[in-house]
Amino acid sequence: MREGRAFHAAPDSPRLAILRRPDRTEFWTETVGREPSVYGERWTESDGRAYRSFEPARSKLSAAIVKGWSGPVPSPGEGWLYLGAASGTTASHVADLVGPTGRVYAVERSLRPFSRLVALADRWPNLLPILGDAREPTAYAALMPPVHGLYADIAQADQVEIVLANATLLLEGTGASVVVALKTASMGRDASAAQHVRRAEETLADLLDLEPTVRLDPFHKGHYLVGGTARSGRLGPARPTVSRPPRVPSRERRRR
Amino acid sequence: MGTTVVVADGPRLELVDLAAAEARVSYPLDRDLVRAAERFLELRPADVPPGLLDAIAGVPLADRLVAGDAGLARALTVRLGRPVGRATTDELRGARAVVGRGPPHDDRAFLILLARLGLERALRSPEEVLISLAREEERLERALGREDRAAAAFLPVSGTPLAEYHLAWEATRATLADHHAGLVRLLEQSAHSLVPNLAAVVGEKVAARLVAAAGGLAPLGRMSASRLQLLGTRRRPSPEHGPRFGLIYRAVRMEEVPVARRGAYARSLAALGVIAARADATTGRPLASTLIARRDRRVESLRQRKR
Repeated sequence: MREGRAFHAAPDSPRLAILRRPDRTEFWTETVGREPSVYGERWTESDGRAYRSFEPARSKLSAAIVKGWSGPVPSPGEGWLYLGAASGTTASHVADLVGPTGRVYAVERSLRPFSRLVALADRWPNLLPILGDAREPTAYAALMPPVHGLYADIAQADQVEIVLANATLLLEGTGASVVVALKTASMGRDASAAQHVRRAEETLADLLDLEPTVRLDPFHKGHYLVGGTARSGRLGPARPTVSRPPRVPSRERRRR
Repeated sequence: MGTTVVVADGPRLELVDLAAAEARVSYPLDRDLVRAAERFLELRPADVPPGLLDAIAGVPLADRLVAGDAGLARALTVRLGRPVGRATTDELRGARAVVGRGPPHDDRAFLILLARLGLERALRSPEEVLISLAREEERLERALGREDRAAAAFLPVSGTPLAEYHLAWEATRATLADHHAGLVRLLEQSAHSLVPNLAAVVGEKVAARLVAAAGGLAPLGRMSASRLQLLGTRRRPSPEHGPRFGLIYRAVRMEEVPVARRGAYARSLAALGVIAARADATTGRPLASTLIARRDRRVESLRQRKR
């Protein structure tokens, strides 16, 4: 582990560290977990804190940040639901960003990546693996509290609908964040990549105040990062049902 | 006297009187989950509200601890006063508000335990065992090949420590080869019992690798012959196998077919393999003898055909 690098905290996410080099800007996360590295990323120490390089070629969230993503980024203390966590490459960085007081509920369906995720959770105390299908959020809804943010990287044809089902059930109210890594190649050949992205934006716009979508080329070919924050009154705990008198047709009302 | 259940919703336990709500529900309780909840209680006694264990001492275990969605559905049943099968979104959201949550850091032990149990249970099926064995065997075979190539290029100069090192290395490789042979035997037994038709047509090892590459027997049974032929092809060419050669090129009797005819044999074998995989995945009907006869006829015709 090398020491003595000059990191600057990102303004909107204090645990995301920026390292300026003469030819490029690198992003690192202040780690919550223990070594060894998760996917071959670099580790370093500065001012008594351990950092891991947030590699844009391996993580779509990192690629989006490098390409100027202005949307929500996990912040310390928040709870995030991560759909499609696989072996935990990006999930471990999201866990770093929410810090030791935050939580990441990482949902994965495939057994072998999930076994690696469970092993990773031993070293990342705020990463909680859930073996489940993101298409059935009711199956794991009981295992977690409402969360501040949702990150989805599921590469399915109906990925936007899956995200909406999870967001409706599991996100807190106004201001909750949704970030979706869209893989347009998995969304069918009936439309172009641009049309798929536009459709996804239109669907998500009902729920969210969207931030500008970022195309992740050349780090991830054919991928886009879409997301924003929940609009007022579109999410949140169910309100008690108020019994109202039956509506009277307008003609009868007039007669009365 | 009504039944009192404890809803274990994450770490938070709650006493719910089903009789008071006049609800009668029965949910299939997963024994693993019940055991997990019990172990969880042992692991984290601080999470149990005072007096709760005494209160539930006389209640049958099956009624005592319910975890996950079933627990939530029970709580929901109490709230709504009617049995709930598959809760709707709004009902679940309401129930989550009713059930309540513990402090955010408390659910960790329980969730990790559930994850491990769920994983163990899922990986216990014969199909998953076959996939795990096939992947291990493939990894070990690659490692052996790498070591053998390195050993062939190594020059042990006699009278130096290099010669001694070479001897120790050879012993290690022999042990690894023994281990690999044992793994192959296990894999062949497993393939023979799970996919008898496919194993007979393409060979046990290739059959196991095909199941692993497809991600299971059911996905393999749904595949077309052309898709099966592509299984195992690599994006990057390797020294032994170029990018066009999938797993089917390692099937039995491939070596007996002239090189120029192997593509034709692979196509025929894939067609037979799909029939065998479908039979294994669905009816389990024994088709091996018919398929082997067809395969052997094809091999003979390809061997006799002039260019």
